[in-house]
Amino acid sequence: MRISRRAILIGSTASVFASGLRAQQPAEVVIGITYPFSGANAQIGVDAQHAFNTAVDIINNDHDLDLPLAKGTGLPGLGGAKVRLVAADHQGDPQKGRAEAERLITQEKVAAIAGTYQSAVAVTVSETCERYETPFMSVDNSSPSLHRRGLKFFFRAAAHDEMFSTAMFDFFDALKKKGKKIETLSLFHEDTIFGTDSSNAQLKLANERGYKVVSNIKYRANSPSLTAEVEQLKAADADVLMPSSYTTDSILLVKTMSELGYKPKAIVAQDAGFSEKALYDAAGDKLEGSISRGSFSLDLATKRASVGKINALYKARSGKDLNDLTAREFMGLLVLADAIDRAKSIEGEKIRAALAATDLPGERTILPWKRIKFDESGQNNDADPVLLQWSGGKFVTIFPEQAAIAEAIWPMNKA
Amino acid sequence: MLTVETIVQSLASGLLMGLLYGLIAVGLALIFGLMDVVNFAHGEFLMAAMYATFGCVVFLALDPVFAAPLVAAALFALGAVVYLGVVSFAMRAKTNVGMVQIFATFGLAILMRGLAQWLFTPDYRSIPTSWLANKTVPVFGVFLPLPQLAGALVAIAAFGGLYLVIRRTDFGRALEATREDAGAVALVGINRNRIFALGWGLGAALVGLAGAIMATFFYIYPDVGASFALIAYVTVALGGFGSVFGAFAGGILIGLVEATTAMIMPPALKSVGIYAVYLGVVFLRPRGLFGSI
Repeated sequence: MRISRRAILIGSTASVFASGLRAQQPAEVVIGITYPFSGANAQIGVDAQHAFNTAVDIINNDHDLDLPLAKGTGLPGLGGAKVRLVAADHQGDPQKGRAEAERLITQEKVAAIAGTYQSAVAVTVSETCERYETPFMSVDNSSPSLHRRGLKFFFRAAAHDEMFSTAMFDFFDALKKKGKKIETLSLFHEDTIFGTDSSNAQLKLANERGYKVVSNIKYRANSPSLTAEVEQLKAADADVLMPSSYTTDSILLVKTMSELGYKPKAIVAQDAGFSEKALYDAAGDKLEGSISRGSFSLDLATKRASVGKINALYKARSGKDLNDLTAREFMGLLVLADAIDRAKSIEGEKIRAALAATDLPGERTILPWKRIKFDESGQNNDADPVLLQWSGGKFVTIFPEQAAIAEAIWPMNKA
Repeated sequence: MLTVETIVQSLASGLLMGLLYGLIAVGLALIFGLMDVVNFAHGEFLMAAMYATFGCVVFLALDPVFAAPLVAAALFALGAVVYLGVVSFAMRAKTNVGMVQIFATFGLAILMRGLAQWLFTPDYRSIPTSWLANKTVPVFGVFLPLPQLAGALVAIAAFGGLYLVIRRTDFGRALEATREDAGAVALVGINRNRIFALGWGLGAALVGLAGAIMATFFYIYPDVGASFALIAYVTVALGGFGSVFGAFAGGILIGLVEATTAMIMPPALKSVGIYAVYLGVVFLRPRGLFGSI
């Protein structure tokens, strides 16, 4: 084939023009969010979308709050470009998560992806992001193994289950010093990466600190019946029951325990279902005094000025108060948008570099964290977890001491 | 850890759950036996029944016990409408009839789930208080939860009633005759379409009863049918395709096997026992325990 000079000229002009176009600032920045919008955990996705939209409202409109990007409109670093979200439904299925992440990146041209609730889905989504050099912000996944895969484009501002579990055992140690009897533990966890990672962390901590695990029950998520499992928990009757369960199983667990006449002496839960309103609507009367780890509670409003206002904005959209999940989702998107703003670009590598340089003091968040600063694996180690106790129809922060609003009620059910 | 008490408790719980599994599955067996159509929307019928019960409790302040007959009636109508509106058309397909039927009911399942998510939101609902909920009958240290106990009694009553209907009424005889030879019954003046519609109605009404009882102790959300439907398919296959009594026996067997497996193996593997028994039946007696086909 003969290539004429004219063709070369046209071609090179076109490419110069194209690169010139690319250097221009985008009118909007597209961020992908992928959640379960159908299937067993669809409500989580719906709530998450409200949280993300609240964050977009904060970014795109002018708000007088001490949060990143609240003042002024859009992203100033990109000439005031607005943020737009594209939502994708992964149905809680890691394979669908992989496909949706690929679609978001290649077809929707997202600058970054945030998600995903289920840790099992975060595995495939973050791997896909890595391949396309697109940053992935894990806003609400808690499996510790996620940031240990040597991924360059993985970031997590919130704590993981080892940090959360460490807080639980610190709490047990503190209670023991006060003379409470805590010797035996029952672990109860679902069978995907979330439950297994969580129970592995708890098992390790129990061995290190001299607590006896009298039963360690792994069950199948979304089981039609948990009778056999509860029977074993009842027979073991440990000083503390430690569930790691999503909402559906949490509801069934609590109802089955009550039906079989098992009143656990104490419950210290790994969040998930135990931070969801649906559980307390269904069986709140049986959970008086139960404890869940978390990153957020509304009583933080006394220590963080923006909490009340953000909660009001979120509640106007969703009809619910912010909880541990939605608070992390809201903050995660702000952190991601803040990095894109500082990167002054929507190129993956530049956003990654800006994320890695993030150093946000805790006061400028809505969470009880010291600050947000990612280590080399993309994990923020300053996301201090808190323990919350369900008491009188609301969550009260009881641990650690500097964040506590009230003294813990222990045990929840007297033997 | 295995005391007599825990063994008896596990078996009792397994029996109660098994009767409920049987009640959920019997509608499926009835419809399959009648016309060789597997209703892939069976789990969604259960979901619809649970939402209907929830609606009766919230809007009419009816206790689920009283709501149950209403829900069964509503599901009867739903079943008949589904037959007349969807399945009867699917059966007219000239080629690949089986496939067309599968896709028709499967599509219906997805439609129903989507509608439920749209109308009721994917939030988890529960009926917080009712006559049955949160009550437990202790018998010699064995706890029998009242909702499951009621479910078991309803299941036994429903099977008894179904037995009488099939054996003692003209409708039952017409049902049996249509099952034997759908072509020949037309010759003796039985309207095949009418029998099929009534069969679908009856099958759906039975799962409606199960849904009303289950709503008192299980959470309700658009996908709730999926895990029970899977068990229902296994129940029907185990008990024997088309055998109503087989579904009853299959349900009890699955409940007991599940409970026993969970005692001797880690609970995460409790369904392994069910499928092991199922495989055994498939190898040794492919038509199922009480199957006649």
